[in-house]
Amino acid sequence: MTYWSRRLLGALAVLFAVLALNFALFRLMPGDPVTSLVDPRFSPEAKEALSRAYGLDRPLGEQFLLYLKQTVTFDFGLSFVSGRPVWQELRDRLPHTVALSGSALVLAGTMGTALGVAAARRRGGAVERVVLAAGALSFSFPSFFLQLLLLLAFAVLWPLFPLRGSVSVPAPQGAAFIADYLHHLALPVLSLALLGFGSWALYVRNLMVKILGSEPLFLARAKGLPEPVLLWRHAFRTALPPLLTLILLSLPGLLSGAVITETVFSLHGVGRFLLESIQGQDYPAAGGAFYLLALVTVTSNVLADLAYGLADPRIRVDRRKGQ
Amino acid sequence: MKALALLLLSLMTALPAWAIDVESLRGPRLEELYFVIVRDSDAQLLALERGTTHLVTDLIRPVDIERLTRRDDVVLSLTPAFHMMEMGFNLRRSPWDRQELRQAIASVIDREGIVRDLFGGYALALETFLPPISPYFEEQVPRFGHDVDEARNLLARSGWSWDGSNRLVDPSGAPLEPVRLLSPLAQVSPTTAELAQRLALAMESLGLPVTVDPLDFPVLVERLNSHDFDLFLLAWSLTRDPDNLFSFFHSSMDVKNGYNIPGLRDAGLDAILERLRFAPDETAARQAASEAQKALAELVPVIPLYSRYSVTAHSKAWTGFISSEKVTPDNLWSLLSIEPAQGPMIPFRWNLGEEPRNLNPLAAGSAYDWQILGLLYESLLSVDPYDLSDRPGLAESWTLERIGEEDKRATRLTFRLRPDLFWHDGKPLTARDVAFTLERLKALEVPRFFDSVRDMASVNSPDERTVVVTMDQVSFWHLHNIGGLPILPAHILEKVDSWRDWQPATTDHGEGLTELVGSGPFVFREYRPGQYVRLTRFDRYWRLPLEP
Repeated sequence: MTYWSRRLLGALAVLFAVLALNFALFRLMPGDPVTSLVDPRFSPEAKEALSRAYGLDRPLGEQFLLYLKQTVTFDFGLSFVSGRPVWQELRDRLPHTVALSGSALVLAGTMGTALGVAAARRRGGAVERVVLAAGALSFSFPSFFLQLLLLLAFAVLWPLFPLRGSVSVPAPQGAAFIADYLHHLALPVLSLALLGFGSWALYVRNLMVKILGSEPLFLARAKGLPEPVLLWRHAFRTALPPLLTLILLSLPGLLSGAVITETVFSLHGVGRFLLESIQGQDYPAAGGAFYLLALVTVTSNVLADLAYGLADPRIRVDRRKGQ
Repeated sequence: MKALALLLLSLMTALPAWAIDVESLRGPRLEELYFVIVRDSDAQLLALERGTTHLVTDLIRPVDIERLTRRDDVVLSLTPAFHMMEMGFNLRRSPWDRQELRQAIASVIDREGIVRDLFGGYALALETFLPPISPYFEEQVPRFGHDVDEARNLLARSGWSWDGSNRLVDPSGAPLEPVRLLSPLAQVSPTTAELAQRLALAMESLGLPVTVDPLDFPVLVERLNSHDFDLFLLAWSLTRDPDNLFSFFHSSMDVKNGYNIPGLRDAGLDAILERLRFAPDETAARQAASEAQKALAELVPVIPLYSRYSVTAHSKAWTGFISSEKVTPDNLWSLLSIEPAQGPMIPFRWNLGEEPRNLNPLAAGSAYDWQILGLLYESLLSVDPYDLSDRPGLAESWTLERIGEEDKRATRLTFRLRPDLFWHDGKPLTARDVAFTLERLKALEVPRFFDSVRDMASVNSPDERTVVVTMDQVSFWHLHNIGGLPILPAHILEKVDSWRDWQPATTDHGEGLTELVGSGPFVFREYRPGQYVRLTRFDRYWRLPLEP
């Protein structure tokens, strides 16, 4: 069996385990979704009809087979709460979440990487001290606090940005819509970038410090290579594989969204959907969302392996040796 | 200061003494209506203060209410609501089967103190089994006011005593074991969790050791449904009909998943509740409702604690709101008559406090869904904003008759529709649509309407404007059960095979419409999830044109 077939089989096994856990966990939780419909207009007979309609009266084995079939075909069924297809619910929210988390990831990654490299370049200098302090602060700051401060400053006291939502009411048409959307997205993205750049800066700085202090770089410096060439072509290139892995492993986070950010800025995203599905014991919704997340996580892991091999030929050689 | 604010609010609601004749009301004047989705309380207030929304409903926090009372550009309205918070007992277990113990506990609870401390006065201490806003509210019921000494005397007179450590001892000489009070989690409902602690302390003052057991809501409901509890805290949203008293307290409802959670079984009360459920007319219904409330006040299967107010704020930039001592301005009648106080017509923006969960009239359950759907679909009857009595809706007149022989009595409802009724897609609305709606609601077993149509034996439409519905059993409530149902177009409903799978808000119906086609004053245009719902005026609505 080749490395890649083993890797793919492992990924499928993980996916199956996630599916089984998804199914079991929600059904092991005490309470059932029909009991949460407490309304004096619903007689016991009406509740039974509701339970039948959602297939909750069927045996667990039958429910599991149906669940497997639904998830594999991406037909996650209807949400107990909204009555809409789960896939449609996710599809409505995904663009907002990807736009928010993706922009924040790009911004935080770029800022963090640039600052990390700058800090590593002059050890003990003012830049490094500032980056270390700012990075630690950014890394450890409670997100809701910073976000509420930003809202207070730039949406209430100095209303440069909207207070809530993704678009104005009514939503403008054409190019104005894009401008309006970006205007609404600016503050949440900025807040996430401010909260996220610190971990990137500290990671890149540590990585670069290690590489810049390594023997090959010492030799290159001794040979008189110009500093920018040394820094970017040699040191930074060496740091790329772990950074690439980090980026790929961040991809699932783009889908799971930022629950707190979506709540503070009233954004219609996947994060809040997940939270509300769990709280409302909405099996199809939570199951569908978790399956999608697991799929993206497993795929990202496989892609990270692949990318690592492409970025660093030594790894491919090692794998062949391992076979 | 708080009391003053409360007084001012009460006065404000009492001010519009000139009641509008809603039957002759023309409208809507509005051309465009937005339901703007803002969930966070602070953001809701800011949006209203900035003028980005014009009406906010369901204000709960005293600090928010007091903040808005200080503004000159906002009108606050307050009315009692159909809300009831109660603490219940499990009468299937000892010692809760002892009536004098339940009455004594009712006397050690300081409802006024609870309302003052937990809600800043913005709630109503409740000692009755229907809230005062109910048209069937009975004020003359036995009451157990806050009096700890009287509670102890009551128990002592019935043979109860206290041991050396002040623990309550039952008449057989056994000290009471510690009990648990089920309540929602503090994270979900902080005031109810605090209330549970206060109730536990009050009961301990009587010598009854109580531990609060905070539970996730579905778990709490499951425990109640399986009758696995001593004491519980639960809130209800009631309706104008007192028929819920039957669901809550009749012996037949003491089953798994039934609403007689305390497990009350009292033959005398059952007889009264049966007279209430099967009352032939309103007079008999009123009499039975009154007797039921008096009997329940003696039996104390649950202790009513408080009823929340309904508090709404709207911008003074708009005029024409209709409100009363029973209804805040967030109602259909207001939306028919409001217009800007000055300047040209602009879209009205109503703050929706939650995302609409399900814009399918067959499956929608939340109040937020129905705030929208209630403007798209009309019923045969409407509700008067001043006294909550029946008013004409799609039906301009109706009759309720008892028919059949002594051993097989039934109710016949005859509705006469208005002329010139249309659906949003321009097709005429006829008696066939009404009959088909009722038949389909029954055939599809739609849970929400299950009990309303369960007793329907037949429905006919002898002509274009007449609908005759025959219901098994004699009951005045059949009129409200049938008259309050949303009427849907037969030409759309006949394509619906499953109430659950129908997606009317996203199914195209041509000409800018979805399958959310009703006959109400507004037409559904767009739902932008997380942002807003847009409705426009239905120009062929029967209350239009503005000048007939």
